[in-house]
This record gives sequence, structure tokens and C-alpha cells, in this order.
Amino acid sequence: MMRRFVKSVLAGLAGLAALTALSTGAEAQEIQLTGPLAGAPAVRKLRLHRAGRFEIAPGVSFSLLDQYRRTLLPGAALTYHVTDWLGFGVWGGFGIPYNAGLADELQTKAIDFRDCAHKSFSRPCRLTATNLTHGSIADDQLGRMQWIVSPQIQVVPFRGKLALFSSLFVDTDVNIFAGPAFIGVQERGDCGHDSNGAKLTDCANQSTFTLASRVAVTGTFGLGLNFYPSSFVGFGFEFRALPFSWNTSGFDNHGGGANGDFPDLNVNSADREFHFNSMVTVHASFQFPTSIKTTD
Amino acid sequence: MPATALAQPKAAQPKAQAGKNPKDTSKDKPAAAPAATGDVKEVNLEGGDAPKDGATAPVGGDTPAPAGDDAGLGDICKIDPTACPTIDMEKAANRDMKVQMYAVQQIYALRNHRFEVNPYFGITMNDQFVGHPGPGLAVNWYITNVLAIGVNGNLYAGLNSNSNFNLQTSRAARVGEPVTEYQWNANANFSYVPAYGKFAGFSDFIFHYDFFVVGGVGAISTRPIAVVDPDNRTFDFKPKVSFHVGGGLRIFFNRWLAATLEVSDYLFFDELENPKIALGLDPNTKKPLAQDSSTWLDPGGASFTNNVQAQVGLSVFLPFSWEYRLPK
Repeated sequence: MMRRFVKSVLAGLAGLAALTALSTGAEAQEIQLTGPLAGAPAVRKLRLHRAGRFEIAPGVSFSLLDQYRRTLLPGAALTYHVTDWLGFGVWGGFGIPYNAGLADELQTKAIDFRDCAHKSFSRPCRLTATNLTHGSIADDQLGRMQWIVSPQIQVVPFRGKLALFSSLFVDTDVNIFAGPAFIGVQERGDCGHDSNGAKLTDCANQSTFTLASRVAVTGTFGLGLNFYPSSFVGFGFEFRALPFSWNTSGFDNHGGGANGDFPDLNVNSADREFHFNSMVTVHASFQFPTSIKTTD
Repeated sequence: MPATALAQPKAAQPKAQAGKNPKDTSKDKPAAAPAATGDVKEVNLEGGDAPKDGATAPVGGDTPAPAGDDAGLGDICKIDPTACPTIDMEKAANRDMKVQMYAVQQIYALRNHRFEVNPYFGITMNDQFVGHPGPGLAVNWYITNVLAIGVNGNLYAGLNSNSNFNLQTSRAARVGEPVTEYQWNANANFSYVPAYGKFAGFSDFIFHYDFFVVGGVGAISTRPIAVVDPDNRTFDFKPKVSFHVGGGLRIFFNRWLAATLEVSDYLFFDELENPKIALGLDPNTKKPLAQDSSTWLDPGGASFTNNVQAQVGLSVFLPFSWEYRLPK
């Protein structure tokens, strides 16, 4: 069994094939192939932390690698586990945005220092009229995630245990989840011309520096590491990806030129860029009923 | 380099009276000794066939171990000769043992007194303007099973890449972000493995993993990329003191090969380009001050920089195999 695992993993590592061939030692688990334990389950007396139980997991998510605004998402997941390896549930959270360093820098250097509200004739102000508000860049034009809801399916391929400092032991598992995601997004509203070519207010007009809401639909997927110090209380970490296109800056970056790679003095859906949005979640989990089953 | 390593070096410890093959009990103290010490408990935990009451321990027992070098392990040797342990059971049973009872017996992949060679590839996680990908290599020597000393290095030269995001931000907001490129980085490190465990995959196969943290000090060679006044400014690479903190996950494919996923932060004080161009002429040389290299760097001083990178690689442990000090 171990050999099967090694083979499957190393199949993609062709360059290591020769190195792998140097292995001469036998694996402890290999004995199970033909030995007296042949046919026996890999794990006996396995505690089934999930099978037939509801799980409520309140937690906080932190967005990663954001360009202008980060998002803190308090939220929770509610999951029913049909078996110990399969569950269905929903995850969601409300976004609390806050500035990344670049947003503060733009506010200071490109907006406050230039004071375009009073010096609109200056060259930097004229060149950035389409792209920069005279007020708060965070409130007027930077995109934000307001809320996220995601029905999701969970699969638990790996079950095991973890030894911490060789003295603390805790049941552990790895779950993989995926599902559709609905994201409440706020980003700078259309101006100049919309995506259909209809005329709108000129983007240099400061009244266009307002946020508009929409719901982005995408898929979400990720992986979690969970720890179960007791039969009904646990905690864990999750990495989640939420790839979708949105205009995080409120700038006019695309729409012009042969390939649309240049500014066109319009802000619309053409200015949305694909982002592999990702976040890390820290959560506690509570399983109900509180009693736990074990395998033979 | 030795072909094998002794996993747990022999230490001067009192002999354990239990845990030995029952047939050896007559050589030492009487088997009738009361089972009141922790030593005896260890025996009962370790040897599933050992009787709880030492006074009634039969010599040979109900399931006498086969004679010979593979005593007690004969089944394994018959089934798979390549997996047959080379432990001399007589010697192993008579040698001094640590009284300490290990919480996890025969850790799958021991690191103690082994080299770890870890080639990896790193990608930037926190620099939106310039990517600093590059190959790296870490070499560690495990002083104990959980503590190692080592070195690692990253090579960035030729792989730095300006991002589209840098272009777009500069174009839209008319601001020039000072950016730098990296040449190389080298560190001396301590590594610690606080947690290890195993997973059953799909209730079918078992694999082992551990978590590690790493910290160290070293140097990183960087230079600013001239974006404010590229006509006049050129910068040379200069090494700076850097600090290294990180942590990661190692998943073992077998006892000497593992995949590693590490996130490391290399912290240093970086020199940035001066956002302003000096005007006028140098009174001594009569050359433009803009061409005076002493005006090229930000007078605000060095900027504290975190170079966070994700590193994915493989770990090869040498020597490839070892013998456990104690039978399973």
C-alpha cells in the first residue's frame, strides 16, 4: 500500500526516478502487503469525528496577497457529514476591509500631497483625473468584498494524528472542499461608457468616484487542517481560493488599444482583472451529537 | 559517508529489567521481582506478549520465539527477506537501554545524525511590483531528531521580473514606486521540528509528515532598479545583513525522500532609489548633481523589507537507511 502511494506520488516526478531507484530499505508498511496483517485496515479503533454529525465552525478569515485592501471575514461553516469522509455544508462571512500599505501610500503621495481638489490645473492632477479621487481612495474607488456565501462539499482524504513536542497528541485530519461562491463585491461604478458602449458621466467627474455593488459568482476550493483535542471540540486552519475578476483599484487600466491593454478613459467591466483571491481561515469547531463513534 | 546511521546512540543508562526477550530474564535479576517500578510498566506497554506479572513470566512463553538471528522476526523475514531486520536480537536484548519510554515507538523517518539536502524553488509572496523567483538549496545536519543546524541559499540573479501591476499603478496614479532586484541570499540556520505525525490516506495507505520552523542570519545582495532617473542612475549589487524566519511542512514519501513546502521571510534593510533628482551642478566637478552617485539613494535611509517567499522542494536524507536502537 505504501509502495502504491509512493508510486502514485512519484509518477509526476520523473526526474527523480533514478534517485528513487537507489532506495534499498524496505518500508515498514510494506509488510502489510503480504504479512499477517494483509487485508487488515490501515487504522484500527479510528475515532470518527465526523460521521453522522453536524459541525458548526465559527472562525475568522484573512485575505492574502491583496494589492490595495485586505479583508477580515468573521464567519462560520455549518456542515453535515454523511460519512467520515464526505460532508455537505455552507460557509460564509462578512467582510471588514482595511487598507494595505499601497493604498495608504497612494492616499498620501498621489492624493493628499497633490491636493487636486484645489490644484486641478497641475499636470499630475490632469493626468490622473480619470483614475484618482480627490477624497478618500479607500471609500471612493478601491474594491472590497462585503460578504461571501458558499455551499460546499467536503471530502476528508487523510486521517491521522499529530505529536507535538513528543508529548501532546491530537487527532488530525485534512479536508478538501469545493463549491460555488457568491460574493458581494463593491467596486468603482461604470463611467465614461459602459460595456455596451452607452454614454455615461465622464470619468474625470468626481461624482463618478463612488462604489457600486454587484454579486460575483465563482467557484471556491481549498484545503483545511483540523485538530480534535476532544470528542466534540476541535480547531483548525483553512486555505481557500476564490478566483474571480474585479476592479480592485478603480483605475482605468484596460479597454483601449488593439488588445484592450491600454486605458480608454472609461471604467467598466473591461477594467476588471482576474485575481486568484485567497484567504486563510482560523476556526473552532463543535460537533453534534457530542458522543463519538469508533471503528473496529 | 557512512551507509547507515545509528538512530539512537547508546547512552549510559541503567539496564531495564523488562522489555527483554523472556528467555533472557534468567540472566539478570530474578523474574520474580515485583513489578512495581516504571520500568516494568514500560515492558508491558512495549511487549504485547509480555505477562503483566513478572513472577509468572514463562521462559519461552506460549509463543516461543524462533531461534537464530531473526528470533521473533522470523515471519517478516520469511515473507519479505529484503525487509528482514539485521538486528542481533541477543545483543539488542542485553544492551543498556534508556529508561525513558518513548511516546511514539520507532519513528518512521528518523532525522537524528542525518544530513538533509533540500533543493527547492521559491516564489515571491509579498512583492507586487517585482517578482523574485529563484532556485535554492538548504543543507541541514540534525544534531538530534528535532534540532538541526544548516545553511540555505537562494539565487535570484537573472530571474527578477517587473510585474504588470507595477506598470499599471505607475501609469494610472503617476507615481514611481521604488523597486529593487535581488541577486543572491545565504543564511546559517537552526531548524526545529516541534510536531510530527502520520495520516491514513483514504483509509488505505499511511504517510508521515512533520512541521518545522527555521531561523537564522545571513546576507542578501540587492540593488535598486532605477525608475526615477534611469538616464543617469545605475546601481551595483551590495550585500546586506538579513535575518531568516520560516516554517513548513514535510511529507515523507519514504524514509529518505520527502516533499517540502516552506514559507520563509528574509528580513533586511534595503536601499531604495531617491524619488527626487538632484538639480544643479557640482561646484567642484562642474558636473550635474544628478550624475553624482551620492544623490541616487533615498536620503530617508534604508527601508525595512520583508521578502516573503513560498518554497517548494524535495528533501533527501542521508544516509538513506539506519538501524533502530531497539526492536519494534
